[in-house]
Amino acid sequence: METELAQKIVGSLKAAGINFITFVPETRLSEILPIIQKDGFFQLVPVASEAEAVSIAAGASLGGKQCGVYMEGTGVWVSSYNILTVGVRYGVPMLLLVGYVGSMADKRNTFLYAEYGVKMIAQLESMGVEYQILRDGDGLEGKIADAVRMMHALKKPVALLFTGEFTI
Amino acid sequence: MIRYDCFEWLAPQMKDELVVTSLSGQRVEWGHFSKRDADLTLGSMGNALAVGMGLALALPHRKVFVFESDGSLLLSLFNLPTLANLNPPNLAVFVFDNQKYSGTRISWPTATAGKTDLAAVAKGAGVEHSVLIRDFEEFQREAGGALKESGLRFVVCKIEESLAHRNIVRSNFDLLETKYKFVRYLERSEGKPIFQGRG
Repeated sequence: METELAQKIVGSLKAAGINFITFVPETRLSEILPIIQKDGFFQLVPVASEAEAVSIAAGASLGGKQCGVYMEGTGVWVSSYNILTVGVRYGVPMLLLVGYVGSMADKRNTFLYAEYGVKMIAQLESMGVEYQILRDGDGLEGKIADAVRMMHALKKPVALLFTGEFTI
Repeated sequence: MIRYDCFEWLAPQMKDELVVTSLSGQRVEWGHFSKRDADLTLGSMGNALAVGMGLALALPHRKVFVFESDGSLLLSLFNLPTLANLNPPNLAVFVFDNQKYSGTRISWPTATAGKTDLAAVAKGAGVEHSVLIRDFEEFQREAGGALKESGLRFVVCKIEESLAHRNIVRSNFDLLETKYKFVRYLERSEGKPIFQGRG
């Protein structure tokens, strides 16, 4: 992903008020991490599993933080139990920032990821998680602001799935 | 040592500390002794420690207690390296290890009934103050220390299996009610809004 696009993502998160981000690093969006790390606005929390990334974010959200959880698409499968228990069932807002590996528009899609990618939407819908697929940077700030407003309105996790231009 | 006695001793000493509990008998027993809005009963396994970490990071000026069980922690062992590296000084974790999945009603043994020592696992993950205790006086020392002192504390309490919770009438508060009670308490005590949505 181009640095300019990574900066646009981070700037949009900041403008939407996201100030606490848990993460397991991945390949597609990884350029956002050094930018987030350098920006004192964010509390950046590295973790060992996407499962705890969701649960730590739930605790921080209940403590008043505006939380993002950055993960690879495979992490949605790893953390589905946590998304359901402390996210959907308990009703806790958080923004899932997902590198949508294996999706149709993933420019680096391989046999390693396709099976996860093509089933992602069904998995999110089965959990009742609202989502938006983002293919390029057009209107990015508004789309991220919409997702943050929706997560607060629903008091549930909302997912942004980054593919297309974000995967180059 | 049984968990019921530990909670009976500790609950009256709590003031504005935040408490997160996992599932099973400890949720019922803690709820029996503590009726505070500062208690967050999650009603799920494998989440309490991580949620407690999130609260401790978000509110570094508040003391957070987490009550875990051996079965719940075994579901989320990846929490331990994260806990060690984040090292929140306002967090105290008590793992009530009865070496059984007592919620199953057949008391199937957990890994800690075999070779696994959760305090050693936490130590190996990098948690400096990780101890295993076996008697009530040690519990009083560790819990009393957690109330008074700063510093991450991870305490595995080897307890006898007790089925006291089965005789306690369970609360009819559902999870959402518990969450809102907790969040509204935090809003009052912190003087700031937690949830951002507006009508």
